[in-house]
Amino acid sequence: MANFRRFRPDDLNKLSKCNLDPFTETYELSFYLQYYAKWPSLFQVAEDQHGNIIGYIMGKLESSPDVYRFSEHYLPWHAHITAVTVAPEARRLGIGKLLTEQLEVAADANDAWFVDLFVRVSNHKAITFYKNMGYSVFRVVKDYYGEHSTDPTLLSEDAYDMRKPMKRDVKKEHVREDGEKHEVDPSDVW
Amino acid sequence: MSPYSYGRPALKGSVDVQLQTAFSDGNWQTVVRLAAKRAATLKDPYYEAVKICAESQLDGTAKKCGLLVAVDELIKNKKTPDIDTIELYEWACRDFLGYEVEYADTLGPLRARWAKAYPGSSLALQCLQACLENWDLVSAQQISTSLDKTYANTADRRYMFWNITLTFLLSISPQCTNASRKVYSMLAVRQLERAADLTENAAKLESTDRGLLTEEEICLYYRVLLSHGTKEEFISRLKSPKLGATSQLKAGRKVLLCESLDALQTWGEWDLIYNLCREALTLGLEGATTPFFLCDLQLWRKFASAASKVTDSESALGEVQALLKRYIDIKDKASEMYKKNLSLALLETTFRLPAATLNPNHDNAGLSPRVVQIGLFLDQYFERLSAFDDVKSYVAELGFEEVKTLMETVLPKIPDENADKGRQTVLKALECKLRYLLSTCPQTLSPQPSVVDGQIQDKAFQCRLCNNPASLPCETCLKKLVVDAANTYRQIAGDKELLGSIPRMDKDPRLDLALVMGTSLLKLSGLRPRSSEASQSLWQDVEPGLFLQAVLLLDTQLKETPGDTELRLLLVQLYLLLGCASYAHQLWTPLDVKRTIQDSLSPLFFDRISTLSPGLFQGTRPLMEPLRSFYSHTLSDKSPVRIWDAFSAGSYTSILDMTEFDGKLRRSCTLMMTLVEERRAIRCYGGKIDCEIEDHPLTENINDETTLVDKTDYGPFPNLESLHGPPIHEYLRLGPGLSNERSHLAFLSEQYLDLLAYKPPKDYKPSRNTNDVALRDREYTLETLSRLSNSLTDFLHHPSTPSRLTAGETSYYTILSLLAAALLVALSTPRSSSDPVPQTLSSLTQSIKSAFASLQTTTPLIPTPQKEEGKKKPLPEASCIATLPEMPTLACIRATALAIRHSAGFVLALDEQDRKGGLHRDVLAQMKVLHELGGKGVGEVKAAVQTVKAGLGEAGWLDRVLDLVFGEEEEEETEEGDEVTRAVEEVVGGRAGAEEWAGRVVESWREGVKGWGMVRME
Repeated sequence: MANFRRFRPDDLNKLSKCNLDPFTETYELSFYLQYYAKWPSLFQVAEDQHGNIIGYIMGKLESSPDVYRFSEHYLPWHAHITAVTVAPEARRLGIGKLLTEQLEVAADANDAWFVDLFVRVSNHKAITFYKNMGYSVFRVVKDYYGEHSTDPTLLSEDAYDMRKPMKRDVKKEHVREDGEKHEVDPSDVW
Repeated sequence: MSPYSYGRPALKGSVDVQLQTAFSDGNWQTVVRLAAKRAATLKDPYYEAVKICAESQLDGTAKKCGLLVAVDELIKNKKTPDIDTIELYEWACRDFLGYEVEYADTLGPLRARWAKAYPGSSLALQCLQACLENWDLVSAQQISTSLDKTYANTADRRYMFWNITLTFLLSISPQCTNASRKVYSMLAVRQLERAADLTENAAKLESTDRGLLTEEEICLYYRVLLSHGTKEEFISRLKSPKLGATSQLKAGRKVLLCESLDALQTWGEWDLIYNLCREALTLGLEGATTPFFLCDLQLWRKFASAASKVTDSESALGEVQALLKRYIDIKDKASEMYKKNLSLALLETTFRLPAATLNPNHDNAGLSPRVVQIGLFLDQYFERLSAFDDVKSYVAELGFEEVKTLMETVLPKIPDENADKGRQTVLKALECKLRYLLSTCPQTLSPQPSVVDGQIQDKAFQCRLCNNPASLPCETCLKKLVVDAANTYRQIAGDKELLGSIPRMDKDPRLDLALVMGTSLLKLSGLRPRSSEASQSLWQDVEPGLFLQAVLLLDTQLKETPGDTELRLLLVQLYLLLGCASYAHQLWTPLDVKRTIQDSLSPLFFDRISTLSPGLFQGTRPLMEPLRSFYSHTLSDKSPVRIWDAFSAGSYTSILDMTEFDGKLRRSCTLMMTLVEERRAIRCYGGKIDCEIEDHPLTENINDETTLVDKTDYGPFPNLESLHGPPIHEYLRLGPGLSNERSHLAFLSEQYLDLLAYKPPKDYKPSRNTNDVALRDREYTLETLSRLSNSLTDFLHHPSTPSRLTAGETSYYTILSLLAAALLVALSTPRSSSDPVPQTLSSLTQSIKSAFASLQTTTPLIPTPQKEEGKKKPLPEASCIATLPEMPTLACIRATALAIRHSAGFVLALDEQDRKGGLHRDVLAQMKVLHELGGKGVGEVKAAVQTVKAGLGEAGWLDRVLDLVFGEEEEEETEEGDEVTRAVEEVVGGRAGAEEWAGRVVESWREGVKGWGMVRME
């Protein structure tokens, strides 16, 4: 039912099964193409037998700008999951997990220290999903999101910055046990 | 500030503070004065350039021309200007690029000249970037060659591959001359072959070697080979030990395998595909890759398909099964996705086996291995949302006996004894979907004699499922299906336990049942694909009651499952078909089709929207503004979006794909649809059109030779149909989908209307010799008319064109082509009382009159519904609603009538302006006739709109609509047909439950007609 392969720009004409779902954001063309241009191996899709895209993951490889090298918030060379989505009809088949694993393989191939991502603290389902895959909370980014997903009376929502160490981090230097206790401001996140 | 982004550049460091400040403040008069002084004192030509650039910022055409002259002189002068001067000129020319200044003829070559002189400078790289961002491939390729030579054998391998990539891009670009194309093609191939040979022959490749090392470099090689090399070269390299597909797989690289298999498939190289798939899948079992790395369904399908086509297919298919079995043996370690892929691969393999292998003894043809496999698959996956889609094509391949066994024996046994009601209901919904699917498969029919028991049979077939005379689909089976599905639906609705279990299911079974009922009712109503051959009147095609029942039922379901996009899209299309555009828009808006996905999804709502409901454009926010902004924003640069990022990152295949994607986006049918729909709507209300369509930046590179691309995504539609018939969206569109032919005709017709509407700008002061100006204008008009007449005729005569247009559109474009030809003759005929006008003019005007009359008669403005034989119930006397779905045709009549009137008016106006004598009196006579004809035609459209408006303004529409849906309350019920109506009534809650819906439909009709009432008819 599904094939996994690298994203191609023509896939943007076949995104409807994913992107008409209200929980999936549609970005500007330059955003998708930036990822495809810079990190093609970290942009993977799952397609169905008719060529419709039923899941995709977009990621990047980067480190903090050199000017922050001595900051406590400096991020060494790592992979970041920007977006991962699976169409409603293709859920419960482990496609999200497979896509994430593929990104991790690419992260290892590019000698990344860890893979990280941001998730709303209220998104328990996603947090559990990532924890089951070996991710843990590294820090809490206060008021990272401009609105709250479940409580309309709140003007913002915190994010968990979750991480999974890659092969390079043999001593597990880039993860911590008590990440929930480490709070940072959005301005500390680059 | 980087020069290519057109921010105001900083002057070079040696410039004094006073001038720097004046320049950065934009104090241009002061800059001119100071720069002139410095130029005189220092004799540095840079200051002359500063002066010229500053002058170009002042008002006045002459000053601006000074800049263009200066740039031109730099080009002609073979010297290399300094980079600061080039950057300064590039900034100053920013507003002229693409118009007065062609980058590839001016600044690009200057940058290339500079980069060649200083290839070691870091600024040479900026020159490359600037040329790329202006998509000057010739200069970019030249710069990359210099950079490659300078940085050969360094650790930064990008210079070499930039050069190869740009050489290849140039070889496939229109920027390359035909003479150079072959040279660049060979150059790209040879450079890569040399690199490939180096890789093959080297024991170990260092990053400083000029071989192929990374996945991107290797894939680039194969892409270039595919385009410019031979099949033999490609295949030979594909088998090589280091650069072959298998060796790449061992390195965890899958892209080459996927791309190679596609190429081999187009060449029909089945032996190679078979071997490659076998090797690849064996790697997973042998531990050379992770076990399920290659377990994609596509690979298994290609493997099985190739095995069925090789010489010894029996043994090859045996090999496929053996490999599959080895995977199945370890499938417990696999994720759900791969387990399912393996199950589908098993199904695929079974269906590719020859019949003799499957059932050598020909016993129990019904319970064949194919049916058993489908049963086994469904046993595991029937609850999955995609179950129907997974098995659909296989079920449609089954023979009749197999179908019968599947439906009557296998399916009922699927739920185990302890299956709860929820699971049983899901299976019931799946069964309904399969029954619908089978109603679209020809194996369920058998031919029957044309005369039975002395009675002539009106149906050519007998349904093998219900034994009734039938055509495809069998009406009896569909009616029974609606009744059965409705029963199941009601059972769910009345069972709290079942309702409570729905959130835990993959999909609400009521949704599936509603889709089955809805599409069955549409088929029963007689709805046919809205192709050019379909009768133009919806109500002549369909039985209103059944059609409206389908809409009502699906709308009722949307209230239960508002988040379902398939259902919502289906309803959007149905309401457009029904003429309820404003309500369709309300349903469309929550889909939030925005940004990138607009190009592929917008046609589902916006195609032909100005002809259906121009009033929608009268809202506070321009209706198609987001779509127009998307194109303007995305295509504002000449280069593909983010292309420099791909160069910087060394993503060579991304460069090729992004370039191709960009090319298609610039040639998008949706883009043309956007421009044309907006212009048509603006004209409807007498608004001002900003610029002629040919001068619009988005149509810059579109001409008759351009193939416009339709990328409409029909993926989100529910589709219960088999491949034996058209998909559901073809039944629901207002006419044939977007196409190259229709887009070109629309583009040309807009150009024709632009010509008629042209007025010189108010500030345009012609030279003293106004006669010369008039002559030149006349010459331009004749040239344009000649071009448009030829192009319109050419596109109308494409063999595929008739199937791409509705009948109304065909008439409109045909008449426009005739008008262009008629005007050409009319304006070319010299005034001479003795010579008669050429016969062609009267033939053309006669053709215009006949074509217009035909358009009006084949599509009456107020169609009178007639009872067709075999149809249960025609539309009642309330014929005004019969016009509502026909508004696009009405719009064609209006547009045609106005084109006729304005064309004749154009000629008559020219005659009046021409003080020296005007046109031939016979020409004038013919034009007056056309002018009158157009006026009369528009008047009839106006009257038709008023009639519809008046009709809809009457009271009692709610009841009339409900009567159409359910039959009049006092009407006597007749047998089976009304069993269907009763079933629908019970699902939707009867007349009372449908009242609100009927109100919305009537309201939307009224809104549509109100918009039409404001349309200008002159």
